[in-house]
Amino acid sequence: MIAARKDTEMNDQPRKTVLHQWHVESGAHMALFGGYEMPLWYPTGVKTEHRAVLTAAGLFDTSHMAAITVDGADAFSCLQHCFTKDLTACIGRDKNPLSPGRCVYGAYLNDRGYVIDDAIIYQFDTNHYMTIVNAGMGAEIAAHLTDAAAGMDVSVHDLSDNLGKMDVQGPRAAVILSKIIDSPEVVFDRLPYFAFKGHFRAEATRPGTVTLTDGTPILLSRTGYTGEFGFEIFITVSNTEKLWKVILDAGRDFGLIPCALAARDSLRAGAKLPLSHQDIGPWPFLNHPWLFALPYTDDGTDFTKEFIGFEALKTAQYDEYTVPFAGFDLRKVSTHGTTKVIDSDGSNIGIVLTCATDMAIGRVEGVIVSITSPDRPADFDPKGLSCGFIKVKKRLQPGDIVSIADERRTLPVEIVDDIRPDRTARTSLVKML
Amino acid sequence: MKEIDDLILDDDVRYAEDHEWARHDGDLVRIGISDYAQDQLGDIVYVDLPEIGEEFAKGEEFGTVESVKAVSELYMPVGGKIVAVNNDLEDAPELVNTEPYDGGWIIEINPSDPGDMDDLMDKDTYIEMLKEGA
Repeated sequence: MIAARKDTEMNDQPRKTVLHQWHVESGAHMALFGGYEMPLWYPTGVKTEHRAVLTAAGLFDTSHMAAITVDGADAFSCLQHCFTKDLTACIGRDKNPLSPGRCVYGAYLNDRGYVIDDAIIYQFDTNHYMTIVNAGMGAEIAAHLTDAAAGMDVSVHDLSDNLGKMDVQGPRAAVILSKIIDSPEVVFDRLPYFAFKGHFRAEATRPGTVTLTDGTPILLSRTGYTGEFGFEIFITVSNTEKLWKVILDAGRDFGLIPCALAARDSLRAGAKLPLSHQDIGPWPFLNHPWLFALPYTDDGTDFTKEFIGFEALKTAQYDEYTVPFAGFDLRKVSTHGTTKVIDSDGSNIGIVLTCATDMAIGRVEGVIVSITSPDRPADFDPKGLSCGFIKVKKRLQPGDIVSIADERRTLPVEIVDDIRPDRTARTSLVKML
Repeated sequence: MKEIDDLILDDDVRYAEDHEWARHDGDLVRIGISDYAQDQLGDIVYVDLPEIGEEFAKGEEFGTVESVKAVSELYMPVGGKIVAVNNDLEDAPELVNTEPYDGGWIIEINPSDPGDMDDLMDKDTYIEMLKEGA
């Protein structure tokens, strides 16, 4: 009945973050992810962790992710050549260029237009950048950037296991962090969504400095993977455990709990965010819900710049579509084996990429409502809805009903524009203090 | 996750390799999943129960438990006919996590071969099996 413990069998030694022992001692259920042995959930359980991020705050160990610095007079050109986002026109409605203290989401493609990995690029100043990629991808992306930078004045360093990172996500995130950083009123002044301040190296002074009350430097970024308000914090490995405990301590009275990868996955699915190597991957990076990551011209007919993979995307005869769906109850299909997507004619039109359960949403007269929706019914305690992404050979519209199937179960689901409503990621920081 | 020594393992049930338990209940047999199983699965959010009157052989799949991460099959530790299912699990599937041997029972059957129970493991043998697999 229980699958063999494949996930936790260690043929090669798995990598561990510096918080690994803390997770084990806390009774976390551990599993392999991206080559790391990581917590999937703590004894609190996934549902409690998922909901805590919506109503209070959650703290996630994300040190398994990889960081790469890109420095030099040609660093910008190299990144502009490799990344899907046009770094000269990517900030805000006015499409301003990337500038110090701003960061931007996009992907690195190969010359067939396939996604190697998705990533965020941070600018420290004109000649200094950092890119964050997924667990285990540091070496590959660093090599990709190094190749692209041949003959250019660029130096690429894979920081991977030499940097700690944790995410504080949820409406209380800023209030909690106010308790543990110096001059919070300065730090939180003008820190919009996808902006950052500080650095994990003490000697760096751009953009601004952020320190804990004991002077420890951190890089504080208004980003995250849950779709809810919050921050990612970068810190040296030697200070990671201290920061973890300081945040847990400061956050206790506000309802902050440690949260792990299963809740991270269900939250991001409900937030309509892709999982690299599952929802995006070795197929043309077209016809999907994240077209803002591509440098389309205003009329959408061309790209504003050349980049690795752009020609393949322009000429691709690609007739598949990645679309989000939400189910009518919490039951899922498994994506480990064969999956099908069956349309109203009974034809098999595709596969299921992600099927998760967002435990904080339910349908009220057919409409998806969240436990934080302002107009939710009194005593709203939904059981959750399945949600995720399918990849199909036919154009589908929001409102279309299809069936998703695994080897044992077939379930009706609805194609949707968005999944969990009333998300708080972009909420003005002032409102969250 | 729990250490094997911290698991709750009822004395008055017999255990199957797949982590179901079976307990005599008069002439009937009550069936559920062990504390080890619920701990491994995490939060149970849905239980797919069979119909009363259905018959299954020992080892046959009779339903599923769904956790946030996965759907897992349930196999009959002994064969028989379904006489009752735990309807509490519809609104409170988490009973399987919190009371795996009591309020979280899953089905009750009229066993086809009472001798099947002898093939199951007692508590100590089950613990040994868990320790070998760890």
